[in-house]
Amino acid sequence: MPADVSLLDLRLRRRLLIGYTLGMALYALVIVALYPEFKNATSLNDLTKHGSTAAALFGVTGSLTSPSGWLNANLYQNFLPLIMLLTTIGYGAACLAGQDEDGTLSLVTTLPIPRRSILVQKVAVLALQALALALVTMLCMIVGRGFDLTLPVSHLAGVSVGVALLGLDFGLLAIAVGSGTGSRGTALGVTAAVAAASFLISSLAPVVAWLRPAKYVSLFFWSVGNGQLAGGLTLPSAGVLLIVGMVLLAISAWTFGRLDLH
Amino acid sequence: MNSVITAEGLTKSFGRDRGVDSLHFEVAKGEVFGFLGPNGAGKSTTIRLLLGLYHPTAGRTTVLGRDPMHDAPVILRQTGYLPGDLALHPRLTGRQHIDFAAHVRSIDDKTVPDALVERFNVILDRPTRTLSKGNRQKIGIVLAFMHRPELLILDEPTSGLDPLMQSEFQQLVRETVADGRTVFLSSHELDEVQRIVDRVAIIKEGQLVVIDTVEGLRKAAPRTIEFRFPTNVDPQLFAAIAGVRVLNADGGHIALSLHGPVAPVLRAAADLDPIDIIARPADLDELFLTYYRDEPSEGSRSLLEGHAG
Repeated sequence: MPADVSLLDLRLRRRLLIGYTLGMALYALVIVALYPEFKNATSLNDLTKHGSTAAALFGVTGSLTSPSGWLNANLYQNFLPLIMLLTTIGYGAACLAGQDEDGTLSLVTTLPIPRRSILVQKVAVLALQALALALVTMLCMIVGRGFDLTLPVSHLAGVSVGVALLGLDFGLLAIAVGSGTGSRGTALGVTAAVAAASFLISSLAPVVAWLRPAKYVSLFFWSVGNGQLAGGLTLPSAGVLLIVGMVLLAISAWTFGRLDLH
Repeated sequence: MNSVITAEGLTKSFGRDRGVDSLHFEVAKGEVFGFLGPNGAGKSTTIRLLLGLYHPTAGRTTVLGRDPMHDAPVILRQTGYLPGDLALHPRLTGRQHIDFAAHVRSIDDKTVPDALVERFNVILDRPTRTLSKGNRQKIGIVLAFMHRPELLILDEPTSGLDPLMQSEFQQLVRETVADGRTVFLSSHELDEVQRIVDRVAIIKEGQLVVIDTVEGLRKAAPRTIEFRFPTNVDPQLFAAIAGVRVLNADGGHIALSLHGPVAPVLRAAADLDPIDIIARPADLDELFLTYYRDEPSEGSRSLLEGHAG
């Protein structure tokens, strides 16, 4: 399968991707290394004991001093998804609509490459970025086993897949909106708003009764918000994330096929 | 006509904004077809329709015998395109751009791109953000011509090039058509077009106003004749002749704009014993400017409509 477009975009984003990944790794290692200092500080659990809404706003629920609680509170329910979405939504909005706006997409669209192939190659780059971030973070967590963060590797792998799929889905949403409107700004705005709403719903659902049923529409719930770090990524969760991704890919193919390009 | 491009009622509208309206034209194999119009007339919109980048609102077009809406990759394999507002990746070098296109187009033999690079003194190893517009345009020329395409679609191709490189580019276009290939050249500069094209289409406000050969347009363009007579003359003597418009009459001096044969004017003037005559050749510039202005003169419009096809 041709990969020229993928390789070109990877070359263009090389520094950004390396920066995000190294920064994420550094942060994850600091969180890991700090755990022994906090694992016996049980007073931390008071923050979440009575279902604190403020703590929930930051995606924090349950025990903070257990390995899964510590990593959820500091990494998997907030910081990692945030960096993941910055990367994937940014690329999703830029790779078609953004490049079309600045004129560089025509260097590809006026070559003999079918639009569908261009889209698939862009999505491959999106997936690669999401996987790289999730994988590097997971490797840091494995290093964390030396710092008393004893979590099953299968659970770590599951939640890493969940975060990567979360990033992929929101990146695909940005691609779909971008290729539907031809506007990078609209793609960024709409997708960031949906992501923020999704995060809030998933975070607040455990402490706000009337929000509880809405958690099922939040992609955060299916990737990191349902105890995936402690219990692993379930098949239904992975299925929801995959199906949403496939639907968004199909919509993107339809909108990109109809987009007037510059 | 062995057509490389056909457009039948080709229309593109952007909501309230004008695009192009019901374009009809054909471009024959082996010709240089000039597409002339002021900025915003619809030239780039037409080109994007030909390349399959835009979806037409109505009408249809074929390029190299295929519909760009369905077979764009096949068309693009045999087509070279130089956009009017060429955008290159600022951090990549010219070499990286050329290597990328060569790889996509499966060009293993670099003889042609290398020759173009040498011919146009292309700077290959600096990021394109550090290059002048002219030097970026040279990279665009290599990208358009490097695979020896059957059809070249060039939008304002000499923009930013110095006169020497403009001349080299015109020579390259002549060699291309001498080779039996076809060039569609869009421009808003008459000079650029009339030096190398066989036929010209003029587009204004999204509509074609004329298609003709440069020679045909020159014949149709109004000539100016000035007479000086020893006594005052009645301008009506000339105004009554078909194809004549009196531009200026001042005593024994009279200036006429003439379409058609000159003999009736000379016969009328001879009876008045003229002492001097100045005849200027057909003014193509004036003809084009007529269309660029908002209110074309009635005489020129009716004349050109006779040549539209």
